[in-house]
Amino acid sequence: MNRVLLLLSVLSLGVSSQQITDSQRLFSIAVSRVQHLHLLAQRLFSDFESSLQTEEQRQLNKIFLQDFCNSDYIISPIDKHETQRSSVLKLLSISYRLVESWEFPSRSLSGGSAPRNQISPKLSELKMGILLLIRANQDAAEIFPDNSALQLAPYGNYYQSLSGEESLRRTYELLACFKKDMHKVETYLTVAKCRLSPEANCTL
Amino acid sequence: MMKKAVEVILLLFLLVSMPHAKGTRYSPPGKPTLTRCRSPEKETFTCWWEPGSDGGLPTTHALYYRKENSETVYECPDYRTAGENSCFFNKNNTSIWVNYNITVVATNTLGSTFSDPMDIDVVYIVKPNPPERLAVTVKEDKSWPFLRVSWEPPHKADTRSGWITLMYEIRVKLEQENKWEMHLAGQQKMFNIFSLRSGGSYLVQVRCKPDHGFWSEWSSTSYIEVPDYFPREKSVWILITVFSAFIFVILFWLLHMNSHSLKHCILPPVPGPKIKGFDKQLLKNGKSEEIFSALMVPDFPPTTSSNFEDLLVEYLEVYIPEGQELTLQESKDLHDGCLKSEGSTSDSDSGRGSCDSHTLLIDNCGEAKEEERQQDQERMGMEAQRHQKDWEEKVLNYAHEDIVSPDMSSGRVKTWPSVFSPLPQYSSNPPDQQSSLEMAKQHYLSDSLFLPDSSSTYLTQPGHSTRESLEPSYCEFRLSNKQPHQLHPQMQASQQLHMTHSDVNISSIGCKQAPAGLQSPDLRSTQYVEVQKVNKEDMVLLQPVGKGCRHIELCPKMPQGDNYSKVKGVNSDNILLLQRGVMEEDRCPCEDQETNGAREHSHTASTVTTTQKPTACIHTAMPVQDEMVLAVNGYVDTAIMCTLPTY
Repeated sequence: MNRVLLLLSVLSLGVSSQQITDSQRLFSIAVSRVQHLHLLAQRLFSDFESSLQTEEQRQLNKIFLQDFCNSDYIISPIDKHETQRSSVLKLLSISYRLVESWEFPSRSLSGGSAPRNQISPKLSELKMGILLLIRANQDAAEIFPDNSALQLAPYGNYYQSLSGEESLRRTYELLACFKKDMHKVETYLTVAKCRLSPEANCTL
Repeated sequence: MMKKAVEVILLLFLLVSMPHAKGTRYSPPGKPTLTRCRSPEKETFTCWWEPGSDGGLPTTHALYYRKENSETVYECPDYRTAGENSCFFNKNNTSIWVNYNITVVATNTLGSTFSDPMDIDVVYIVKPNPPERLAVTVKEDKSWPFLRVSWEPPHKADTRSGWITLMYEIRVKLEQENKWEMHLAGQQKMFNIFSLRSGGSYLVQVRCKPDHGFWSEWSSTSYIEVPDYFPREKSVWILITVFSAFIFVILFWLLHMNSHSLKHCILPPVPGPKIKGFDKQLLKNGKSEEIFSALMVPDFPPTTSSNFEDLLVEYLEVYIPEGQELTLQESKDLHDGCLKSEGSTSDSDSGRGSCDSHTLLIDNCGEAKEEERQQDQERMGMEAQRHQKDWEEKVLNYAHEDIVSPDMSSGRVKTWPSVFSPLPQYSSNPPDQQSSLEMAKQHYLSDSLFLPDSSSTYLTQPGHSTRESLEPSYCEFRLSNKQPHQLHPQMQASQQLHMTHSDVNISSIGCKQAPAGLQSPDLRSTQYVEVQKVNKEDMVLLQPVGKGCRHIELCPKMPQGDNYSKVKGVNSDNILLLQRGVMEEDRCPCEDQETNGAREHSHTASTVTTTQKPTACIHTAMPVQDEMVLAVNGYVDTAIMCTLPTY
């Protein structure tokens, strides 16, 4: 019996290691994709901000605090401590939801330059990747309650309902929120990856 | 009292107002400004501000911040940690991905002034600390060393959990240089630097940057010295350089040696038209005369000739009937000066004598060459003489002129008196007489001063004169140095002869030609005869000459038969008496002038008396009698070479 247990543990370890290896690879892919998206968002925002007038900038600063990002309802760790406390699966799920939340609004971002057109498909791919990661890391026993998914408010036309005068403001908000969320996903994925990496020293 | 009260009130009033006056100089504090906020590890952050004017009053500053989506205003929890005019937000107060609205307020007793708010997101204000523990070492890589740089991330930055991802950058420079060499190391914490200068001293620094953030400050400088590894390669380079230089020198030398052939190979010479003597410049000048004149070869055709007469070959074959021969002999008008002319009878001999060139021509002097020439001359002369019937017309073809052209120059003409050219066939009484013919090889080697010009003149002269002229031709003294007497045609033959005689050191006597009688007028063709014997009637019997040895010297044989080559004497009838005799080598049958021996030189060898006209006894001045070789076959040649004592 003990031997059987030993064998099972070893097998599980092997399997997990295999999974870990696969997850590591998936994580690496996901992380790189997110990083790319984040850089893209950063560039868009900086371009937009540079095109603004000083007067508009002042206004936008004020608005910045008052506006909300559509992803605000998603509760996510906002500091390192919380992030360290969160489990990998939680992080992955949050990441998944964030990416999903932007899947639709990113279409409004597209138009114009080629990189902007790539945002939406990349988001879709990222979502798929995260899903895979979730499934890979999801224990059979633990099924994450998908309650948070229900908490998603319908955001379909959140940005489109606004009038045109506020398009500038909306664009600003859109870009800023997009940038922030991408960074969040990047951070979460990086932390989860490092936590799952065999080496304690996660140097990426 | 009232006055005092007013004064006090005024004083009080002044006192009160004075502080107010001071207070007017005070003002509320100036507006502070937030300079920057930084987070070193994305967990805490610090904000710094710049205070404005304080307004003369002590002012205090306070920082308030508000988080997004919240109206709660918080004040800075920590004003000291970060130093003056700073606010430090610790981990508990720091939220990531949350917008902070920060404001600084300066407050003094007069008022407070708010600064402009600043919105920050901690994620985007990260500026990590410089990397730590920079270590540089020199690693040897097969004698090509390199630097290995390693460092540690700032201790506060949590890269292990992946909370923050840092990228590093290294910069290196030589100690004495000013420009840094940058290397981006990525996220690794170790880096290799190659292509170092041997013996150089290097400075190394490193800094880091988060994936979204600001570059950190440069770390502390690390010094490293690279050992000298170049000397080893220097020697190798020196060897290579020397070797290659050597090879280059060899190649260059080879090229130089074969430059000519290479030049021919690469740039073959273009054959240009070349005509000898053709000058292109002349062509260009366009003067055809010059061109063609240049083509002309000088001296051709010979425009100047010293002696035209030299070229002339006068050869006349004259046929003289018998009778004429005698007459010819008569006229032996010897020129006084000519020894030979003594024997005017020798005229008959002249030319006609059967001077067999080949038989005679004993060179007393031993000159073979002259002999030959003389032989030729003699031959020619003989031929001429034989056919010559008419003296006047006889043109002695002394082609020897041509032959002796060298002699001509010297003015000497060797003529061969033909002694017995057309000798009638007389039955010779051989032994009666003593007219043993001397060795027919009485070769006259006569170097006559016969000049071409003179020859013609002679020929034109009356017979005897010509004969005379001929004679001297015979008697020539080779060795005598005669002046080239160019006998002018106008000159009298006699004169010439005289001259010749006088000049010549010869004891030449009239080498008379063969007695006229001997001359066979019948002969039309050249025939060389020799005296066979002399009959009792004192008649010389002649026989044709065989192909005997022409040159006496060559074949000094004893004649087969009787040799009537010896001239005994000349009788009163002017007949040459020949006597039989043995040949004497050195006997030059000196024939006296048959006639009255004008001067018959005493031939040392022997006296030959002939019934005939004195044959041409050529006496050469050469006292080389010994050399006189007598005729081999016992014939007497008019062309006898004998040396006679000079007179």
